Amino acid sequence: MSGYRFDRLKILVVDDSAHMRKLVTTILQAFGIIQIYEAGEGDRAWTVLRDANPDVVILDWMMEGMSGLDLVKLIRTSAQTPNPFVPVIMLTGYTHIDRVRQARDAGVNEFLAKPVSVKAILSRLISVIEHPRPFVRTKSYFGPCRRRRGADEYRGPERRVTADIAAVG
Amino acid sequence: MSKEHPIELFMPPNMLKAKVGGSIGGLDMAAIKRAEAAVETLKSDFAGWVGDDVERLSACRDRFAKKQDAAARDDLFRAGHDIKGQATTFEFPLVARVASSLCKLMDAVTAPGDVPLHLVDAHVSAIRIIFRDGIKDSSNRMAIELAEELEARVVETCELAA
Repeated sequence: MSGYRFDRLKILVVDDSAHMRKLVTTILQAFGIIQIYEAGEGDRAWTVLRDANPDVVILDWMMEGMSGLDLVKLIRTSAQTPNPFVPVIMLTGYTHIDRVRQARDAGVNEFLAKPVSVKAILSRLISVIEHPRPFVRTKSYFGPCRRRRGADEYRGPERRVTADIAAVG
Repeated sequence: MSKEHPIELFMPPNMLKAKVGGSIGGLDMAAIKRAEAAVETLKSDFAGWVGDDVERLSACRDRFAKKQDAAARDDLFRAGHDIKGQATTFEFPLVARVASSLCKLMDAVTAPGDVPLHLVDAHVSAIRIIFRDGIKDSSNRMAIELAEELEARVVETCELAA
């Protein structure tokens, strides 16, 4: 695995489908990840997250009760969050560009559209390890910079409140 | 446009990289093969998993038919959305396609009382039939025609709802 010590990682997998959790955890275990926590809904995930303080969260969007999007907002902004910078990979059946923007605006690092593939999961995992984004704090947003490249070079006016569509790639 | 609010931009320490080490070297093909082999061992369960989801969708449809309220509508949408997202992974791509059409319908017609039950039923029936017949081939002519017909009906309904 290019020398990665994946056995040191703690990953939380949140999906209301037990089948999807089984598939994702099977793939992660095959990568060498040992410490995998699971939650079937958002409230439970929030409890597990505070107890286990995972290094990465893989999260479904649509769940009964607290949605994946609400959970990301909580992770980024709650006073009780153990790590507001934890990388979040959103795994979802939503693929429309507006949904991708919504996920970005909530503070998601990487977007992974279903159907699931082994390569896609590994590539998102490597992406959050090797290409972490700077974080941004504005009046209305806290989370990874939504511009994928060149954010540190930006010197123009703030446009985040109205539209921030440059970072969906 | 003037700058109304300050933007704080900073790079947190990369604790993840510090923890796992390693170096960029492209995707590790051995790990990918290992994971794909692990997924292969699950494949005998896939049809059963899709079957569970189809049964759940049918049960949600029945509840929605009895009482077309927001809770029943949301349950039905979630069941359809789960199938849309999962069925391709679990080797039933045309089941996923029809579920996607159902989700599009319910995304466009949000008021529970306005959701055309006959069109919901047509989607649920199609999903049941494609699953029952074990159609995993995404080029199956009968299933594609069924999906296309349903998608056309949804487009018509969405245009009327817009």
